[in-house]
Amino acid sequence: MSIKLENVTKTYFTGEVETHAVKNVDLEIKDGEFIVLLGPSGSGKSTMLNIISGLDTPTSGKISIDEEIISDMNSKQLTKFRRDNLGFIFQQYNLLQTLSVSENVEVGREVSLLPFTVEEVLEQVDLIPQINKYPFQLSGGEQQRVSIARAVVKNPKIMFCDEPTGALDEVMAKEVLGILQKLNEKYKTSVVLITHNPNIGAMADRIIKLNSGEVVEVIENKNKLKASEISWG
Amino acid sequence: MLFRNVLRTLKKQYIQLLLLGVIITLSSFIYTTMDYGVGGILVPTEEYFEVSNQEDFAISMLDMILEDDGIFIASNCALTSEVHTLSGLKNIDSACYYDLIENRLNIIENEYDDINIELRENKDVYFNFDETSYKVRFLKATSEINLSYFVEGNAPATDSEIAISEAFGKSNDLDVGDTLDINGKDYTISGYVLFPDYSLALFSANLIIDNKSQSLGLLTDQEFENLNENIGFEIAGDLTNGTTEDEFEENVINDFRDNDNLPFVTNIVLTVNNMRSGAIYAELEGGEAMGLGLSLIIASIAILIVGIMVSKVLVSQRGAIGILKSMGYSNRQITIPYIFFIAILSFPAIVLGYFFGSFAAQPMSDLYKMIYLLPSSAVEHSFDTFIVAVIVPFLFLLVVSYFIIKRILNQKPVELLNPQMVSSTNFLAKKMGKFLKKLKITSKMKHLLLYRNMVKFLVFVIGMFFAAFLILFSFSMLDIFDKLTVDYYNNTNHNYIGYCDIELPCDNPTGTQEKVIELPSVILGDEEVYLVGLESDSLIHKLVDTKDNEITNKLDDGLVITKSLSLIKGFKVGDSLLLEIGDEHVLIDVMAITEEYSGNKVYMSREELGDIFVDSTEYYNVIYSETELNEDNFMMIISTEKIMEQSEVMQGLFETVFLIMIVVSVIIGAIVVYILTVMTIEDNFYNISLFKVIGYNNKEIDKMILGGYLVYGIIIFLITIPIALAAFYGLTAIFAQYYELVFPFDFEIWHAGVSTTMFIIIFYTGAFVAKRHLNRISLQEAMKMYQV
Repeated sequence: MSIKLENVTKTYFTGEVETHAVKNVDLEIKDGEFIVLLGPSGSGKSTMLNIISGLDTPTSGKISIDEEIISDMNSKQLTKFRRDNLGFIFQQYNLLQTLSVSENVEVGREVSLLPFTVEEVLEQVDLIPQINKYPFQLSGGEQQRVSIARAVVKNPKIMFCDEPTGALDEVMAKEVLGILQKLNEKYKTSVVLITHNPNIGAMADRIIKLNSGEVVEVIENKNKLKASEISWG
Repeated sequence: MLFRNVLRTLKKQYIQLLLLGVIITLSSFIYTTMDYGVGGILVPTEEYFEVSNQEDFAISMLDMILEDDGIFIASNCALTSEVHTLSGLKNIDSACYYDLIENRLNIIENEYDDINIELRENKDVYFNFDETSYKVRFLKATSEINLSYFVEGNAPATDSEIAISEAFGKSNDLDVGDTLDINGKDYTISGYVLFPDYSLALFSANLIIDNKSQSLGLLTDQEFENLNENIGFEIAGDLTNGTTEDEFEENVINDFRDNDNLPFVTNIVLTVNNMRSGAIYAELEGGEAMGLGLSLIIASIAILIVGIMVSKVLVSQRGAIGILKSMGYSNRQITIPYIFFIAILSFPAIVLGYFFGSFAAQPMSDLYKMIYLLPSSAVEHSFDTFIVAVIVPFLFLLVVSYFIIKRILNQKPVELLNPQMVSSTNFLAKKMGKFLKKLKITSKMKHLLLYRNMVKFLVFVIGMFFAAFLILFSFSMLDIFDKLTVDYYNNTNHNYIGYCDIELPCDNPTGTQEKVIELPSVILGDEEVYLVGLESDSLIHKLVDTKDNEITNKLDDGLVITKSLSLIKGFKVGDSLLLEIGDEHVLIDVMAITEEYSGNKVYMSREELGDIFVDSTEYYNVIYSETELNEDNFMMIISTEKIMEQSEVMQGLFETVFLIMIVVSVIIGAIVVYILTVMTIEDNFYNISLFKVIGYNNKEIDKMILGGYLVYGIIIFLITIPIALAAFYGLTAIFAQYYELVFPFDFEIWHAGVSTTMFIIIFYTGAFVAKRHLNRISLQEAMKMYQV
């Protein structure tokens, strides 16, 4: 599934103050590509991810995924689109505390058209031994792996990851990134990952650098590293 | 600054706070109303009963002259004609009647120690005025027990004076000094009188409480004797030498039926168990307990909600509190603003409830005074009530809030600065999680989210149970008074009942009239029952069973008894009942039970009854008529339409009370649902956002997050139905056992249907705002930092 952004702008109005969170962005993300959106705080990474994924709408410009123009979709159509095509991973794991690991994954599975099985996905993220545990019984890395499993179980065509390693230490972060990489390779799922850590770019196909809401640089990565190989500055 | 911060935080929840205030106000309101309205009557009533020397027990005895009475009469009186009843004896030889009564009293006193007894006589006088039928039950003044009590004015001093009940006087614009025309004789009202042995305004078999058309009355002894009406009598009794009611019950009540020397005694009832005079104790105490119980339940709901809200506000302020603590603010400094605002928000609500309650107490008190003939007393504020209604709940609210605040403030600043992490799941969520394993995850969620906060779940359960119980109770009670009173008349086609004059021949009935025999005091076993002889092909008084099938023709084969008699005595179809009709003892089978609750009545074929009673199949003493009857030809004519009109006013008051109960239940239910569902949406802010991001639509999320409330609400409602029914049957059994009165709680399937529909409406009304909040939650919230 490929994503195309044409002259996309997102402006926030606070009283009389205008803030351009994203400015005139043209961008294309190819099917099965692993993209890292890189930039400092306030560079517009999260806003960009929100509007690419249909969580937010652009002020102007056009966003299409394959043949579908998501910037023209209404709320119901967007919900259906996300349901059928997209997966999300956040810095906060957002797990439901009253549900076990398998049940949390089941939350993602239940609304999908062609989902994987819970066990299959938990095996991919090495959580089979924890299948019946509750979130509070898991480490941060394990919790993030559950949230990855929850996103992956839907068999999404594109996965959006917002600072997925932001709350983890190096070891756990590499573990999580390794899983994302594995899933990208195995299922050919496009991955759009935003981070402020430039080292993570080393495992991407392309690195898109943002600053003040604008794409300032697009870097093709010819020497993709494995997650375990990247240095953690 | 801290005060401003707390105020701004609370301002965001002003609707929830306002509704919480309504619940707090209701709690205080109900307690104050019942305590002042009911409790305030108790003290003056007890004083009144003390001053009037209310009987401790009442003895009913046969009007019939028995064998031993005959021997007594033969040796002490010189009668010229044969008599069969004491009332008949009084008409021909008053002195002999009193001697015979004295003899019966002596026999009783010889049998049992530590009692003091006195004769209590009455006569019922019916009269018509301005086309309305009235009834006055005149009681003859006593000298020791059940003394007349004057609310206003004095006892009649001359034969042309009368004292009446205040309720009757006020209902008919009759003041002391006014004149009352009774059957052509003018009486001047000398005062308003009360009698402690008739504290419930029920003087007829059909339980119609009607102070407009019926009254108790007092005349001079001479004027009482001058009345031509039949005498009725009971024996009033006092316990002496410290005898307790339990001892009396054991030694006398449990003994008299087997005592061969007391064949004339039909019943002995302790005042506390006497519907006519003792129900007031149970009613007032029950009313007070109900007021306290209701307000306690509502107060518990309010306190639990306050607890949840305080806890929620503090959790949302964890970070800020952590910073304040790290800056050196003491726990006390942080606590005071919270306690201050809780105090200034809750105190006015409680005080408002107290003042509304004290205003509502007077009409409530007046209603009781109208039902129970009691001396007037204005509602007065009492310090004790103020303490219980205002100070106690207020302090309790503050203490609960203080402990919740303390629990959070006791954490270290560093703990408060970090997001609060869930470290366990509660027992119920764990257990139910296993139980619900096979459900789809979205269905499971709606259960588990509810178990997540047990206090919230508890508030929901209590709130819904409370609302459901009151709604079901009110529905079941709405029909009760109709069943007990006007239903009887509604089921008949006769508009007039004419009682034939004993001394004159009765009119022959025409086409729209039917012959009837009414015998008010027939002995059935140990009890007196009202025996009615009806035509088995009656067109204007048809008997119907519970399924609305006509059963009048069953009279050809035996007896038809009322539902109330069946329930109280346990009689059923096929039983053989031994009736003493005049001098005859007849054993007749019960063929059917009629859906009638207005007294212990037995119906039999008029021809058969006439044959047994006076050896004539043509005999009748009453005429039921569709058309108006000629007053000159009857001793008394009762217009059933007038009775219904007058009683409906009274019943309307009861129905208003029950409708208010339904409205209060609905309000409380809707407020509980509103507060809890809005809180649930707020508590699940991030989860909802996440669900939206994953691709769940609003309808699916709504089902997951709020669906549990609807499901559990309906489950609670359904569970409440059998509990309520069991409670109703329990109450019915208690009333039947102690007061020989059947309360036909009328629970029908449509009650459950309407109640459940009402709950669904309550739910959707209460959850309406929560659903709007849910729809507005943005998808980006899932990406933000949050505390679990």
